[in-house]
Amino acid sequence: MSVAELESAEIVLEAPSGLWREARHRLVRNPGAIVGAVLVSVFVVTAIFAAQIAPDKPNEQNLSLLQNGQAVGPSSAHWLGIDTLGRDEFSRIVYGARFSLLVGIVAVAIGLSIGMLLGSIAGYAGGLLDSVIMRAMDVMLSIPQLLLAIGIVAALGPGLGKIMVAIGIVNIPIFARLLRGSVLAQKENDFVLAARAIGVRRRGILFAHIIPNSISPVIVQGTLAMATAIIDVAGLGFLGLGPQDPATPEWGTMLTNANDYLVSTPFLAIVPGVAIVLSVLGFNLIGDGLREALDPKLRGRH
Amino acid sequence: MLRYVVRRLLLVVPILLGLSILVFVWVRALPGSPISSLLGERATPALVAQYRERYGYNEPVYKQYVKQLRSWSRADFGTSIATHREVKDEIKQRFPATAELTVAALIFAVAIGVPLGFFAAKKHGRLFDHASLFISLIGVSIPVFFLAIILKYIFAVRLGWLPTVGRIDVLIETKHPTNFYVLDAIITGDWHALWDVLKHLILPAVALGSIPLAIVTRITRAAVLDVQNEDYVRTARAKGLPPLTVDRRHVLRNALLPISTIIGLQAGLLLSGAVLTETVFAFPGLGSWLRDAIFNRDYPVIQGGILFVAFLFVMVNLIVDISYAIINPRIRYS
Repeated sequence: MSVAELESAEIVLEAPSGLWREARHRLVRNPGAIVGAVLVSVFVVTAIFAAQIAPDKPNEQNLSLLQNGQAVGPSSAHWLGIDTLGRDEFSRIVYGARFSLLVGIVAVAIGLSIGMLLGSIAGYAGGLLDSVIMRAMDVMLSIPQLLLAIGIVAALGPGLGKIMVAIGIVNIPIFARLLRGSVLAQKENDFVLAARAIGVRRRGILFAHIIPNSISPVIVQGTLAMATAIIDVAGLGFLGLGPQDPATPEWGTMLTNANDYLVSTPFLAIVPGVAIVLSVLGFNLIGDGLREALDPKLRGRH
Repeated sequence: MLRYVVRRLLLVVPILLGLSILVFVWVRALPGSPISSLLGERATPALVAQYRERYGYNEPVYKQYVKQLRSWSRADFGTSIATHREVKDEIKQRFPATAELTVAALIFAVAIGVPLGFFAAKKHGRLFDHASLFISLIGVSIPVFFLAIILKYIFAVRLGWLPTVGRIDVLIETKHPTNFYVLDAIITGDWHALWDVLKHLILPAVALGSIPLAIVTRITRAAVLDVQNEDYVRTARAKGLPPLTVDRRHVLRNALLPISTIIGLQAGLLLSGAVLTETVFAFPGLGSWLRDAIFNRDYPVIQGGILFVAFLFVMVNLIVDISYAIINPRIRYS
């Protein structure tokens, strides 16, 4: 690297480290963000150590536990009760965290990576390529989110893997628009001009200078997209487009079954619903906290 | 103004064209050809060939597309495989249900959200403010269908105050000239039916309106906080106008601008949420119709339904943008 390049790299490095340090300071002082972090940690730990936490296997049936063939409410032996097929509800909820987390991460990763790529190309290249990419994104955004996901699942066929892809695709235009806007704003900065002046290649500028500086709104949106993804997965599961094996302990699918027994066993609907709300709430709280912490307009204020 | 409207209208054309291409390609990407879903899996090759010819599947793709586009522009979406009825006729019957539901949800969201956000901003930093923020956070975190199930359980199953399913009691016989049941009841002067239709709307509308309510509350709060410190508000207060007049004429009126834009953005959320809400309450609108179509692999219905809903969504956004330009001169002249 030439001296000039080293210098320009330094300028870039300096800005984010300051931003991140400040953001961390602000984040730990935000009670909402802390509650969110706790909720998300519980959710992630539950998902990873589901086998150790759950007292039973999620599909282990013990019909002798049923009373008059009916589901049984919470007790000391079974914290969240027994479902209509004699399975421990707590164990099913714990295993369900795995599906929500997995689908959320994969879906957001798909949407984020493809969306970022398209958005940054559109923003940096400009011209015809920009128009073509962004009009395609407009078309995708012209279909309401859940309907687009339903359409994709209808084409791919139902199932957990297909749902991940569908929700990922739905997220692409959101990230593409976000990144394009960010890139357009960054493009005119002095450090980009400096890099260009010393002859850094376009791709190099994009990946080394522009994207790292456009990343903070993407992180905020990514966290919030996790929340929406969990809701959307549950929604598709509730509509019967989720895992086709009805024994799968997916939260949305569990709610569909519970809806049929609402009169006799309302707790079977409440438990998976509350699990969804708490995990979604966690991601929303962290997302909001991050947005405030990373907002450049609020920088320097404590 | 006219230039803005024309420019905005022209922007719709490529979107609608893109949408038609997307749906056209999508139908061809579906598992099993439309012909086999029409005839079933055991159709004889001769019959398949006959149908392929009849529906023009042997022609080049671009010709098929142009032909399809022509029939779509006549609102001809084919016939449902499950019911053998024209998709167009089903839309005519089901759209009013979803329209009533979404409008009711929007009214609920605005009627509660705007005052809630306004008073939260007035009590900035106090308990009421925190409480309203918390409620709106729960509002965006709760899945629509879960809230719908809970509301149904409490108010319909447990308390029995409101009906659990449908749009109107099956025992009520009344005429439906427009299929907008609220309108129908008013036109025919059937107050008993009107009361029943409204009772059927309450729970689904509240469930569906929960997310817009949360968002409207947040935006109103932020907008009022923003506007409150503007010079013209301070001037109005300084010249001794009664506080209520300042709030009404200067604060709220200016804060309503950002609120009016997000209502357009809510249309997509409402139409998505309608699929889930209508499923819980067996509400016979576009949403539950599409859901059933997915289960029956009724592709003409899914195709027509998605096209129609997307078209609706594009049009709502168009209307919102244009009306926003009418209320806000700054957009018009930029």
